[in-house]
Amino acid sequence: MMLDLELNINKETYQVSVHPRERLYNVLRSLGFSSVKFGDEHGKSGADTVLMDGKPVNSYLLLAAQAEGHEIETIELMGEHPHLGWKETRGLHILQQEFVNTGAIQCGYCTPAQLLTAKELLSREPDPTEEQVRDAISGVLCRCTGYKKPVEAVLRAASRLRGIEVPPIEDPIKAPPEWINIPPDDSIPQEKTVQSVDGTTLTAEKVITTLKVSTKPEDWQQVGKPKVKVDAVKLVQGKPAFAADFEHRDMLYAKVLLSPHAHARIKSIQTEKALEIPGVAAVLTHKDLPRIPYSTAGQSDPIPGPLDCFSLDNKVRFVGDRVAFVAAESEEIAERALNEIEVEYELLDAILDSRDSMKPGAPVIHDEEDYVNFADSDPEKNLAAEIRIDIGDLEQGFKDADHIFEAEYEVPKVQPAHIEPHAVVTYWDEDDRLVIRTSTQVPFHIRRMIAPVIDLPIKRIRVIKPRIGGGFGGKQEMLVEDVAAHLTIATGRPVQFVYTREEEFIASRSRHPMRIRMKTGVKKDGTMTANEMYALSDTGANGAHALTVTGNTGHKAMALYVGSGPYRESPNIRFYADIVYTNTPPSGAYRGYGVPQGYWPLERHMEKIAHNLSLDPIEFRMKNALQAGEIHPFSIAWSEGRDPVPEIIQTNGLAECVSRGKEMVGWEQKMSDKKWQNVPGKPYLKRGLGAALVMQGTAIPYLDMGGASLKLNDDGSFNLLVGATDLGTGSDTVLAQMAAEILGVSLDDMIVYSSDTDFTPFDKGAYASSTTYISGAAVVDAANKVADKLRDRAVLILKSRSGKPDFIRDEIELSNCCAIAPNGQAVSLEEIALHSLHHANQEQIMAVGSFVSPVSPPPFAAQFAEVTVDLETGQVVVDRLVMAVDAGVIVNPVTASGQIEGGMTQALGYAVSEEMVYDELGRAREKDFRDYHIFEAHEMPVLETLFIETFEPSHPFGVKAVAEIPMDGVAPAVGNAVFNACGVNIDQNPVTPEKVWQELTGKKSANMPE
Amino acid sequence: MIIEYHRPNTIEETISLLSREDPCTVVLGGGLYLNEKVEASIAVVDIQNLGLDTIEKKGNKHFLGAAVKLQQLINQDKLPQALIKSVKHQETYNRRQVATLAGTAITADGRSPIPAVLLALDAELEMIGNNNKTELIHLGDFFPLREDKLESKLVTKIIIPSNTKTAYHYAARSPADRPIIAVAVSQWPSGRTRVVLAGYGDQPVMVLDGPDKGGAETAARDAYSQAGDQWASAEYRADTAVVLVRRSLNQIAENN
Repeated sequence: MMLDLELNINKETYQVSVHPRERLYNVLRSLGFSSVKFGDEHGKSGADTVLMDGKPVNSYLLLAAQAEGHEIETIELMGEHPHLGWKETRGLHILQQEFVNTGAIQCGYCTPAQLLTAKELLSREPDPTEEQVRDAISGVLCRCTGYKKPVEAVLRAASRLRGIEVPPIEDPIKAPPEWINIPPDDSIPQEKTVQSVDGTTLTAEKVITTLKVSTKPEDWQQVGKPKVKVDAVKLVQGKPAFAADFEHRDMLYAKVLLSPHAHARIKSIQTEKALEIPGVAAVLTHKDLPRIPYSTAGQSDPIPGPLDCFSLDNKVRFVGDRVAFVAAESEEIAERALNEIEVEYELLDAILDSRDSMKPGAPVIHDEEDYVNFADSDPEKNLAAEIRIDIGDLEQGFKDADHIFEAEYEVPKVQPAHIEPHAVVTYWDEDDRLVIRTSTQVPFHIRRMIAPVIDLPIKRIRVIKPRIGGGFGGKQEMLVEDVAAHLTIATGRPVQFVYTREEEFIASRSRHPMRIRMKTGVKKDGTMTANEMYALSDTGANGAHALTVTGNTGHKAMALYVGSGPYRESPNIRFYADIVYTNTPPSGAYRGYGVPQGYWPLERHMEKIAHNLSLDPIEFRMKNALQAGEIHPFSIAWSEGRDPVPEIIQTNGLAECVSRGKEMVGWEQKMSDKKWQNVPGKPYLKRGLGAALVMQGTAIPYLDMGGASLKLNDDGSFNLLVGATDLGTGSDTVLAQMAAEILGVSLDDMIVYSSDTDFTPFDKGAYASSTTYISGAAVVDAANKVADKLRDRAVLILKSRSGKPDFIRDEIELSNCCAIAPNGQAVSLEEIALHSLHHANQEQIMAVGSFVSPVSPPPFAAQFAEVTVDLETGQVVVDRLVMAVDAGVIVNPVTASGQIEGGMTQALGYAVSEEMVYDELGRAREKDFRDYHIFEAHEMPVLETLFIETFEPSHPFGVKAVAEIPMDGVAPAVGNAVFNACGVNIDQNPVTPEKVWQELTGKKSANMPE
Repeated sequence: MIIEYHRPNTIEETISLLSREDPCTVVLGGGLYLNEKVEASIAVVDIQNLGLDTIEKKGNKHFLGAAVKLQQLINQDKLPQALIKSVKHQETYNRRQVATLAGTAITADGRSPIPAVLLALDAELEMIGNNNKTELIHLGDFFPLREDKLESKLVTKIIIPSNTKTAYHYAARSPADRPIIAVAVSQWPSGRTRVVLAGYGDQPVMVLDGPDKGGAETAARDAYSQAGDQWASAEYRADTAVVLVRRSLNQIAENN
């Protein structure tokens, strides 16, 4: 029975005929209201928000029939671009303007929903409190921002709507001048001779900056400024920018049958009944596809890991593994078809605990003959990768120690939980080339990796990366692209495939859980003499990122503390790891890439040692911390499976981060005032303060390459084409800022496009905290080349005007959209463009730049947490998070602080609420946002960010990475704050109420060092 | 799967639809539960036109229409603040606009805050059946047999007392997370005290309904002595239940 409905949407009447079960969401999408997004099946994400009679509701949980007789409003009604040709427009709504101005938009996927809820709030409460704003947007999950800037945007808009002026957006933290721009230390050598771990003599690469910048930092007009994001106006209108927003005639919809068993062989699979369902276009099983081993890890060639995946296999290795693909005229038909596929399984013993993986007689998860080894992977032992790194003489270091501290720690599996699920559309274009429009962080890797899997040459594949609704590493994988591609090949038709939220939890990739053992030698005075970490890392059913994620656990975390005195010169460090298969969903890349797993045990361990020796915990850390001018200890031993090259730490603002961070959080005052720990009237509550010091990396040296091209247009504007992928991080904006700085134009004159493997230069993609540094330097390279051509042309024009000029090319300054000679003569870039394209000696002024770095300069940070612990229930409430970070020069303080706030918020979940747990059959406990709790706007602690700027000499603008480091220190800072509050040590995050209660009540044996 | 949609304008029409044997026909309040979870083929009866969204106070009772949206409760300063706290805890702002009070109560699981508080308040459901007779059933009697009790019936009101002191406390991984353990306590002027536990199982559990608070802590500990699952051990829940019962009773005493 169909229902004929009359729906009032955005003040227009729509006649639709729908099935009674049709959701309002589907009707709105089919009518072209692309601002309404899918986030989850339960209305927890709120991405599907619309206003119904002015109230925010979840359109995915509302029948279309329920909406009849009500007024539905979407963001499309709110405002529009202020300039659309000759026609006068309404312009953007003040709320939209403030979301743009404040940097409230990162990926932009949840932005329409936040705006609608804010609009409703201001319609009933023109002067809201912050608490009211947070409550109003509480139903819209944002994984990017930490909610701070959206709240600020709503409050500013409220003021403006009441006629009150608001101040311009400035740097989020007004640091005194003496805090910032720490100049490079000229005393730091750029060349050192060291011995590698195998005894050979190595010379650290001299850091040579071959790229130049046009002006001095104090004169910069674009870099270092809180510029509005180049994509903000698009996103604030809810434009159809994302992968699933793409429409195509004859589109089919894909679904995947997932395994209900943790480990089984498919004895038989019958698809006839499914194929008989009207509207089913294809059903594919392992019998239909070529058997090509591959890795899902989006990494450079060669993939540093085993090839142990198949698009479809005759064996399933986890609950959620692929069994069959279906393409049908609708998702609903495809789901019905899944139910009709008959599968007979032979159940196999499963490994669900990583400690069982390498036991003698354990089931072999990868027993296929066509498994392709990488390095030390050994599928017969369920070993995906093995790491053995020895630096110095560990045993001698332990002998030198007065105390040896040992303890074990554990970190959980957690989900990136980007609000936009994985989504892809594939189709044959008019040249019979396969187009893959996909929500990916790594378009160029996808093109290279998928080619053999679908038996097409790379040149016949085009990958388009549209706007991405968050990735955080989760989209550094090839998870959905091959599914849609196979089905397009099978049917000849366009295919769309979008993960459900449940599929995100059970079938995508997550952070590696690890069991970690620490052993540390320390002298009485706090000098570390040796430090050892062993990690048993659970890669799940596949080994993508197995080696590299876990390698980073040691490479970034264990490098921070080298020791003091002679040990600083020759540190004694060991990092061993076994990365093993289990029958759980595969682990993979997630923001931080192994490093948060390292800092939980390291910083909890350091805290315990300091307490045990009655040392100040921060002074103890700083005594042993890596300093500028020293060799990164792991750089002589390991480089993601490639040959290591020694690196000297050129810039290290850690000491400044510590001192300024302590001031900001009131460390000395609170630590010396025990009364601060008490909560008046609630004797069962205790406050605590904790810290963690961290370092990350910036890209992978000698490997990560970024490319950019710049083209001058007739009006003096530029097309900036980058292969880099902006996931919401603001990278398109900061790259444009760098180009604009060099070319002397405003950001409005930079038209940024990313990315399309047919048109944009190669870039390895968005991971390893590399885009601003690597892709940014590529942009600078291209911009410098274009700048030289602009200057050449300016000389030509000025010469034609006044005869022989008395200046040379390099004396011409590019500024204010002009080329300006020393004598004050100027020619506009528009004149240069017209001259070069139309008037004389015509040429297209454009250039391509690329960059690969010989170093990976680490950012450093001090992270602080204030908590309140309930001594009776064990509940921990995090009240405040502070991060002082040296990420080099900050190109855009608004987008960078947004990265910090969002990262701290994700890390907050890692600290207290997020984990993925499996039952005895390998079934996931967490399959939705109800059980997997990520923080909502109305329960957030105070977030504060402070940038300690250093100038990293290996980059033309002095930048280092900012995206991943906020993930590293929150959890251990919270753990340390809990210890400060109530004296209990939690060694396994997240810090849940029961774990604290167990320690408080003595119902669990303590794991204290020594 | 929803195969029919009806939006009747009268109670009689609604009851008539609900009384059909085929297809299975159920009430659609806000639709959150049905749109999320139901896979069987069902017909739904949307009650948005029945005028069941009123809030009234008569004598010592609040009469809350079955279709009252959770958000409507938030600004009702006469309602027990513990109920409002549980509403804010259970649902975010968006979902509060759609979720109905009766729908929330009827579909409760053990970790739902609102039904726990309603149970502590000894809430009554007013229902109309196909004989057009109105009947009242206590929520505590409804939960164990809820599918049977709803057969061919429409919940029209939820009635709660207005003269109790009520408290709601919980422990969770974060302030807005679902409770691992929650306690709701109501106390009447006579001293009658009801204690309810939540955070476990498929429904909240009433552990005490006595003339006073005596034995509340022991009852709470006993009630959750086996309440272990993937989210928490029974030992933790039982121990913490005692703590939260004590806090709730103290809060009520302070308010007196």
